[in-house]
Amino acid sequence: MSTLTLREAPERLDLAGLDPARFAGLSEADAARVAIGTSRRGLTLGDCFTISLDGSEELRIVGATDRLDRIGAGLAAGRIVVEGDVGQRLGAGMTGGTLTVSGSAGPFAGTAAKGGTIRIAGDAGESAGGALHGAEAGLDGATLIIGGMAGERLGDRMRAGLILAKGAGAHAGSRMIAGTIVAGEFGDHPGYGMRRGTLVAARHGALLPTFVETGRQDLVVLKLLATSLQALAPEAASLLRAPMRRYGGDLATLGKGELFTPAG
Amino acid sequence: MTAWIDGQAVERDEAVAAAAALLAGARGPVIAGLCAETAAVQAAFDLARAVGASLDPAAGPGLYADLGALASGGAMTTTAAEARGRADLVLALGPAPWASGLLADLAAEAPARGRAAGQPRTLLALGGPGDGGIQHVAYPAGEAGLAAEIGLVRGLVAGRIADPHPLADLAARLRAALYAVVVYDPAEIGALGTEMLNGLVKDLNEVTRCFALPLGDPHQGRAVTQVAAWSTGQGPRVGFGRGYPEHDPWRFDAARQAESGEIDAALWLASLPAPLPAWIRTVPTVALLGAPKGDEARVVIGVGVPGEAFGAALWHPRRAAIAWQEAGSQEAGSQEADPIRSGAPAAAVILADIQTRIPAASAVSQPESSASC
Repeated sequence: MSTLTLREAPERLDLAGLDPARFAGLSEADAARVAIGTSRRGLTLGDCFTISLDGSEELRIVGATDRLDRIGAGLAAGRIVVEGDVGQRLGAGMTGGTLTVSGSAGPFAGTAAKGGTIRIAGDAGESAGGALHGAEAGLDGATLIIGGMAGERLGDRMRAGLILAKGAGAHAGSRMIAGTIVAGEFGDHPGYGMRRGTLVAARHGALLPTFVETGRQDLVVLKLLATSLQALAPEAASLLRAPMRRYGGDLATLGKGELFTPAG
Repeated sequence: MTAWIDGQAVERDEAVAAAAALLAGARGPVIAGLCAETAAVQAAFDLARAVGASLDPAAGPGLYADLGALASGGAMTTTAAEARGRADLVLALGPAPWASGLLADLAAEAPARGRAAGQPRTLLALGGPGDGGIQHVAYPAGEAGLAAEIGLVRGLVAGRIADPHPLADLAARLRAALYAVVVYDPAEIGALGTEMLNGLVKDLNEVTRCFALPLGDPHQGRAVTQVAAWSTGQGPRVGFGRGYPEHDPWRFDAARQAESGEIDAALWLASLPAPLPAWIRTVPTVALLGAPKGDEARVVIGVGVPGEAFGAALWHPRRAAIAWQEAGSQEAGSQEADPIRSGAPAAAVILADIQTRIPAASAVSQPESSASC
């Protein structure tokens, strides 16, 4: 297992592209010269981290803080394990592999990620699985699991994939194109501007006036989803097995999205 | 005197030298405010490029509500002048348009040009306080707020929501108008509400003409957006830390950077009035101010007020363009000639002077090669 141990982060550091595949062909001396700074000081990996590489498929980042941006961005295979918090755009654009964070993540975790799995044990900032300024899509096929609370606009403009969270702030699933979000609770106005996609929550804040109830539904697809999530997130699976009330929306836009919440 | 260090009056030259030293020695400098004439904003972008600073206009939050929606889905907008000439229907969203003065002008006239020429002009208000002196039809906004109401109107206009509805009449009027204009403040309805509004306007253009009319911010934000576009090809919140312009609205939010301790020096540019940010007391700052007292920041340098002390290119809200304003022509806040202010140099001159004193060694010298990260 290769390890990067953070000594200091005097400025925001950009770790995009630093994954097991990138390190496979590098000596520790070469890796130390990789630029990661974001100021004119031109900081390198060796300036900020103690580096230990063994060419394995797993990279551990120890002592991480919320100043470390774009960890796992572009990851295609292998495994990155982060001990600590991370900054913005965790796993941005990744296509495969797994990324786990023991602490919390900054905004835009999993943005534009097409494949692979991201697990955040703590909380996630605004727009987790959401789109960047002007970007085509947020989460785009990957799986994003948030153990704690997500901020506002969870899954904003997501196009494909699955998000699981303990809870989320206002406007979860805003501008959603497609995909699935399952959470213990949503804040106010989930699904603002969503076109398609599925939102499921045990509890939710105020619903938009452009969401309409379509009755109690006992859908096979939700049971299948529950089965597929059993190993990943048992709480989400049991939520999906409850009798559900369905709302359709957002009728402001296409209106082919849906929000399920327990009928009880 | 027009320059101060730690509240003590000094020669301007000394203050400029102190400003250059502060910025040259900083790891993460920010140049913020940018509430100034176009030449000064351009000089600020040039200085930022030289010292590896990031930029953030005072107009930031409201400006980005509009820019975010524009970048996501585009917009069909018009100008105040076109609205006055052509609109037979004006919808004022929320309270902000009623404080702008624009509605009184629109209410006083009828369309004189285009397909609605000769028709009367109707003014509608959704969720606004109204004005007894201006004839209008008022529609109350529900508890869900303006952004939700815009979505409702959009659903009604498209026929996705059944007709017996309190806002159905408003939707019918929008569809029946020959040239409708929706006046809004992006800061008030937010990025999501603005994107929904742009969607409503585009939907209406399937059947008639309709345009969005954003109220400009009072801090030159629209002009800064244009300077940023021609200087960097990107939005105003850019950073030059790595030698090339990176656009990141979250990362280069100056207030966020100050709170997280990422900036160690700042230059606040406000040759026109702008509220001072709270962080100016904690981050070592050089303030270039049109109306200085001297104790606003560590280094304060008085600069001429554009359109008052000298002619300058400034944002013209009616034309929705950058336009030249002659000296002494500024309408708002024009006052008797002030001997201190009239002797102050233009901010662009001070910024260029600061830049010439940045030692070459501390300037950004080598843009990062593409292979390095």
